[in-house]
Amino acid sequence: MQSNRQLICIMITAALVIAGAHAALAQTTIKVGNILPLSGPSASVGLQNKQAQDMAIQEINDAGGIKALGGAKIQMLYADSESKPEKGVAEAERFINTEKVNILTGAWNSAVSYPVSAVAERYGIPFLVPVSVADKITEQGFKYVFRIAAKDSWWTRDQFAFLKDMEKEFNTKIATVAFVYENGDWGKGFAEGWKKLAQQGGYKVVLDEPYPSTATDLSPVVQKIKRANPDVLFLTSNAADAILLTNTMAEYKVKPKAIIASGGGHADPSFMKATGKNARYLFDIVEWETDVNKPGADKTNEKFKKLYGYNLAGESVDAYVAMYVLADALERAKSTDPKAIRDALAATKLTTGPAMIVGYDAIEFDASGQNKHAALVMIQINDIGKGMERITVWPKVSRRANYKPVFPTP
Amino acid sequence: MLFIIEDTINGILMGSIYGLAALGLTVIFGVLKVINFAHGSLLMVGMYVAYWAVLLTGMHPYLSLVVVVPVMFVFGYLLQDILIKPIFKSEKEVREPITVIIVTTGVWYILDNLALLIFGPQYRNIQDNPLRGKMLEIGDMMVSVPKLWGFFTALATALVIYLFLRKTRMGRAVRATSLDRDAASLQGINQYRIYNIAFGMGTAVAGVAGVTLVPFYNVFPTVGVLFDIKCFIIVVLGGLGSIGGALLGGMIIGVIESVGPQFMTATWTEAIVYALFLAFLFLKPSGLFGVKYDW
Repeated sequence: MQSNRQLICIMITAALVIAGAHAALAQTTIKVGNILPLSGPSASVGLQNKQAQDMAIQEINDAGGIKALGGAKIQMLYADSESKPEKGVAEAERFINTEKVNILTGAWNSAVSYPVSAVAERYGIPFLVPVSVADKITEQGFKYVFRIAAKDSWWTRDQFAFLKDMEKEFNTKIATVAFVYENGDWGKGFAEGWKKLAQQGGYKVVLDEPYPSTATDLSPVVQKIKRANPDVLFLTSNAADAILLTNTMAEYKVKPKAIIASGGGHADPSFMKATGKNARYLFDIVEWETDVNKPGADKTNEKFKKLYGYNLAGESVDAYVAMYVLADALERAKSTDPKAIRDALAATKLTTGPAMIVGYDAIEFDASGQNKHAALVMIQINDIGKGMERITVWPKVSRRANYKPVFPTP
Repeated sequence: MLFIIEDTINGILMGSIYGLAALGLTVIFGVLKVINFAHGSLLMVGMYVAYWAVLLTGMHPYLSLVVVVPVMFVFGYLLQDILIKPIFKSEKEVREPITVIIVTTGVWYILDNLALLIFGPQYRNIQDNPLRGKMLEIGDMMVSVPKLWGFFTALATALVIYLFLRKTRMGRAVRATSLDRDAASLQGINQYRIYNIAFGMGTAVAGVAGVTLVPFYNVFPTVGVLFDIKCFIIVVLGGLGSIGGALLGGMIIGVIESVGPQFMTATWTEAIVYALFLAFLFLKPSGLFGVKYDW
């Protein structure tokens, strides 16, 4: 009996080993390490990124995976950064050393993506960044960092270009501006751009106020805005503080001629729900809006809405698109070797397929790894009979038909 | 000059709500002699209970107290009875069992992540409530009405706890246990029951703080973390275990946060608060009202 049992054990072990080896031969999986803020102050947007990427990966795998690699499936591994740089770096190291991922993506917060980019570069693992917009991420001379979204100097540039156009269109003179921003890498990066542009544009800066994103009470900041009394208020906020600022400003009856926000928290679907009519007439800059005039965009959005209950936001679109950029690179790399994937990414020229729901016509990376075609639109939150919605207003060619922006705020 | 008065009022109101949040922490510490790291999470649970009570029934936010206080008391009572009591029993000889702190940290992570699983990371608030966005306008000054309600609730809660501890038989038993748990046991006080009650009270107070926040603040799974650190600072400032100290400590933090930004950027006020915290730890570790013998 005893020897019998031993024999069975050996046979089972052997069978398992063979089965395992067989599976490994027939189908490679491409491991993608994804670092996102899934808890903490940016959890809400982090989750939307994850959902958009889950949907894209599902689509790619269902369509037969990566054909050049024998139908290899993409496997997404998630790690929670809690929006903390040190956590993001630790998870990146774990992904590379323990999980042996082929590629990294994430990390939403610029403050996390920045140090993670250095880890990726050191190990020679490509790092595909959908949305962290801080300029410096692609300006370190790194070879392994690729970014889909426009960088923040382009965002601020377009915000001021928009303001100039509105002044002309509505014949309103704007003299003073105020900058209020969260004190992370992202907010500070925007503020630097704003200061330069305000000087060039001849605007007087009456308030330059960073605040901690974790603040429990923003009425002191709102009081400062009220006392500075700017014509136009520029904001860079995460979700919780965007909601708190908007509601508190309504309470204190702070009404500048225009409020120009910078995506992020203001583009979070829970922002509209939690602010209601207090957010009316606010302008926001985004990569993408649901009313974009691109084939397939409405279908993708509908599918997403059915799955998760809200519209795709600009950042979710970048996250979604990033997965197709990755799939395209893998098809051309014909290898799971990080170096080969990196070279394929660098040679990306994507003009067709599901990724083309973006507002521009091609995805191509320049030498620094920045997507050179990324473009932005301005929207206004308004109620034109169907409840509060986000309506594209700028550039004028993209403006929703028959919509007249409200400027200045009544 | 006027704006300093306006900001001071806002600071005192907001600070009293911080103080109310810290009050629960101080009650639990006063009796159990352990820092409850899950306190912010208890506040979060209280906020969700209040949020759903108001949303589902459409009642006045403050009426939800009749739901929140008993629910949170039972929640805290059971939490202590099931999770924390066994550790106290196994560490009978120690006056300040450190392991309990580790357990409360575990409770914090579990509660926050449970909330994340169940409710998702969305920011919620109640759009239609009679207090939302209400402002009292006195000349050029504006005072937030929901914060004013919070202020009076904080005072009332502190008074109720004070009277309970001073005037009732149960309160005396709680104080006796807090002074010396072995001597109290010798007098026939069931110390573990007292612990349960103290923890229940602390949790209920966290619930009350949650109710005051719901009319004007967002509810989300990690909301407790934002208040946690403030609570610890306040409790050290006011003196561990001191009820009045918690309220006053809260108001000091509130005023710094509210008046400070008018003279510097808002991020600096955080630094000032931490500096004050450190200064107190160095110079007067017992806090403003901390006494040598606790209560």
